[in-house]
Amino acid sequence: MPPLLPMILAAPALGALALCGVRQERVSLIRRIAATVTGLSLLAAVRMMWTFQPAVSGYQFEVAVPWISSLGISLHLGVDGINAVLVLLHALCSFSGVLISYAVKDRVKEYYIFYLLLITGVFGVFLSLDLFFFYFFYEMAVIPMYPLIGIWGSDVKEEGRVRFSKEYATMKLTIYLTLGAVVALIGLLWLYIQSGARTFDLPALQHHLAAAPLDPSLQRWIFPLLVIGFGVIAPMWPLHSWSPIGHAAAPSAVSMLHAGVLMKLGSYAIIRLAIGLLPEGAAMWMPWVAGLCVMNILYGGFVAMAQKDLKLIIGYSSSSHMGYVLLGIACLTPLAMNGAVLLMFAHGIMTALAFAVVGHIYDQTHTRYLPDLGGLAHQLPFIAVCGVIAAMASSGLPGFANFVAELLVFLGGWDRYPVQIICGVFGVVITAVYMLRLVRGTLFGPPKPAFAHVHDAATPFARLPFVLLILALLFVGCWPQPMLRIVDSGSRTLLERANPPVIAMRREVRIGVQAEVAP
Amino acid sequence: MIPFDWRLIAVEAAASVWILVLLVADMLMPPARRRNLWLLAFAGILVCLTLLFWQQQTFLEGSAQEMLVVDAFSLFFKGLFLLTGLLVIIMTRESGLALNESPGPFYLLLFTALLGALVLASVNDLLMLFIGLELLTFSLYIMAAYLKRDARSVEAGMKYLIMGSVSSGFLVFGIALLYGFAGATSFPQVSHAIFLAPKTPSIYAGLFLVLAGLGFKVAAVPFHLWVPDVYEGAPAPVVAFLSVGSKMAGMVALMRVLYGVFLPLVATWSNLLAWVAAATILYGNLGALPQTNFKRLLGYSSIGHAGYLLMGISSAGWSGVTAVGYYLLAYMLSNLAVFLVLIAASGALGGETLDDFKGLGKRSGLLAAVMFIGLLSLAGVPPLAGFVGKLLILLSAAERNRLWLVAIGAVNVAISLYYYLMIVKRMYLDPPRSASPIPITPLTKTALIVLVLGILAVGICQEPFLQRISTALPY
Repeated sequence: MPPLLPMILAAPALGALALCGVRQERVSLIRRIAATVTGLSLLAAVRMMWTFQPAVSGYQFEVAVPWISSLGISLHLGVDGINAVLVLLHALCSFSGVLISYAVKDRVKEYYIFYLLLITGVFGVFLSLDLFFFYFFYEMAVIPMYPLIGIWGSDVKEEGRVRFSKEYATMKLTIYLTLGAVVALIGLLWLYIQSGARTFDLPALQHHLAAAPLDPSLQRWIFPLLVIGFGVIAPMWPLHSWSPIGHAAAPSAVSMLHAGVLMKLGSYAIIRLAIGLLPEGAAMWMPWVAGLCVMNILYGGFVAMAQKDLKLIIGYSSSSHMGYVLLGIACLTPLAMNGAVLLMFAHGIMTALAFAVVGHIYDQTHTRYLPDLGGLAHQLPFIAVCGVIAAMASSGLPGFANFVAELLVFLGGWDRYPVQIICGVFGVVITAVYMLRLVRGTLFGPPKPAFAHVHDAATPFARLPFVLLILALLFVGCWPQPMLRIVDSGSRTLLERANPPVIAMRREVRIGVQAEVAP
Repeated sequence: MIPFDWRLIAVEAAASVWILVLLVADMLMPPARRRNLWLLAFAGILVCLTLLFWQQQTFLEGSAQEMLVVDAFSLFFKGLFLLTGLLVIIMTRESGLALNESPGPFYLLLFTALLGALVLASVNDLLMLFIGLELLTFSLYIMAAYLKRDARSVEAGMKYLIMGSVSSGFLVFGIALLYGFAGATSFPQVSHAIFLAPKTPSIYAGLFLVLAGLGFKVAAVPFHLWVPDVYEGAPAPVVAFLSVGSKMAGMVALMRVLYGVFLPLVATWSNLLAWVAAATILYGNLGALPQTNFKRLLGYSSIGHAGYLLMGISSAGWSGVTAVGYYLLAYMLSNLAVFLVLIAASGALGGETLDDFKGLGKRSGLLAAVMFIGLLSLAGVPPLAGFVGKLLILLSAAERNRLWLVAIGAVNVAISLYYYLMIVKRMYLDPPRSASPIPITPLTKTALIVLVLGILAVGICQEPFLQRISTALPY
């Protein structure tokens, strides 16, 4: 079998490198290169999912290249059920994003270079099984956002005046994410030193910590550093304020990746690093996290109801929906964890679809201000269908992947946090309110003469990204079993160590050992 | 008496000879052709680099009369000094400054400064420490004030001279105290004397005075006050040498002295430097936030970088020194790239304030891209060189269990990213003041590309560089 994971990671990186050598004027060649490399990654990711064996525990498709041996750093790639799904999500979103980017006309070469670097960074985070490279790719994914939003983004306007300038939005985003990253870095370095394993390799570190767990008093302090640091990008309330503005100011293809995938970096890091390495810290802190998730769901939802900019509505809805993901993670039960990971996938695809729709509307009408829009279903029948589908998926209608995922979170978390789950279910109603309001305000109603000239996505090529994303939503929504089996294989292994009974047992063993040593 | 081996001081000897060559050439050449002196200076550095390479290939190690030692540590840093000199020559040629009206003495001073730095890399004696430091600093006093008709340049030179002389006074006083106590100036002998009687007050006085003298060179808080003014006023190529070559030399001398002489007092200076490092990082990065002049901003940022380097030195040990070596390599490449762009662009942009850089991305894609990469590398963004340097420094401090210091260092990465990105914002997001493209000479273009490739190589393939550095420990 070909080395699938290095292929997935290397294709966009080599694409970015190749683009540096192409002349600025050859726009169609540049677009073709970008579409080819992301398409290759997508094919490799589909092949990986196809050949993934859920029955086998542990990491699959592993590749390890020693990098800095004196510090125990290696370029270690591998997937289990959790990140395999996320790699597929990212491959889908980035390929559709490249196709959507055909609307970009200005400084095309630089745009695609930064976009491919961003894609490489995110793939790197999902694939790395090494703390050094995890952080390396994480920062690498954050920084291209700055020029992408700053140069190709747009100001958030309301009634003709600028509410947030794109310069403000992009700087806020970059500084928030970098601050979060360095807080997490402090935690990771502390963990590296205290574990005594002298390795950045994740499986080796997990193995070491399983045999000699960190003292609970240490886990109590390192765990919040990781959760706060990665929670910024997740985005966890009250650290979310960068995210809706950032989404709104970004060009649509970047918003797609940003809301669809980048936020999942945070929740993935919390699953993989915080829970995977510090199970006892997780047991101590997760009730607090669950409380914050409720704030995420309700606060994000209420604020989304009040917005008038299309992208801000979807931006706040994203931070609201990430509350369900984090709530599922906080439950620490396999069922809820499966739901959380599946929801990451479902929400990523759904929100990418929504941003693609809004991006198309904005490109055609040059406005995203809800009171100015209306009746677009007359001119944009295809886009209108896609928009309605995204709204239905977002409000958790059966048949779409989001329904399955949210249901799993609610069922899996009921025993652990019933009050929070009830609040979460109420959040679904809020979602329905603002999504239906959005659909009614933009698509339905009498046609407006100002928009008589707008064009639908007419060519098969322009429709491909929308169709791809909708098919993914429907496939997983109607037949979730194959993907769920893959996710389940990953989350079970992970949670075996984080389960309260297991922790209690280990604690007893430790006390027993101390008692033996004491006299 | 140990027989004297000339090969040990081959590089320093070549540099000294070249000072004379430049002096004579400047006198003999007709004034119209003196612009070409840069070629001679360039050749001189290449000769020194060749000799250095030969020393390294023959595994030459030892000490010349106990005064200078040649080991992997000194060879590594001498290489960095010479490369810096090479780029400063290119910058000088590129800058449209009055420097080029009579470049002879300028290149001569550059060589004396380099000679001082070379001596400091090998220093093994308190007297040599003083001589090396004064050679370096005296040359820089004159170089900073080289634009005689520019009041700001003269002011910069004057400020530097006054602050520098006071700190030299501290250093000499410290050396005198140590000599009075140990009866010798050679590092091993003084170190042995300290080892035998570590609690003597005059030793502590000597330690603090020497640290004060060197702290001035590396711009550590509270000896940093000269930096912003000198950086703003002095000619840009001189500032480049000041912030890269001179800072590196100061750091190398600091490591030589701390590990060579004061190793018995490691607990004292390690804690002291940790506090100094924290203050320096905070001062430099917070001070850079409101700046509007590019060189002044780089001055503050260089104070911040000095803080990170001191942090690495303060975590005394293998990992700390390796991290400092790596950080210096990354800092050299990134800072030189930034300065080269600054110099190549400032003529066409008409000034050195930050607002002059508005729209650079539209006027010269290459210059803006190199500046972008250089600044991000200084901020510590992967996959660039600065990231690995910062990570190694933080790791070394974490190994000493100084979590508070790690936290200060890590948070300041985000702060520094803010002011570096404000420059990027001006270059890419703001409209240019004029649309005419900026011409770049082929030599500068080559140098820019080499620097960027270096930044990427050091950032991505860490292993070969790390191995080279980790074999180069001072003791």
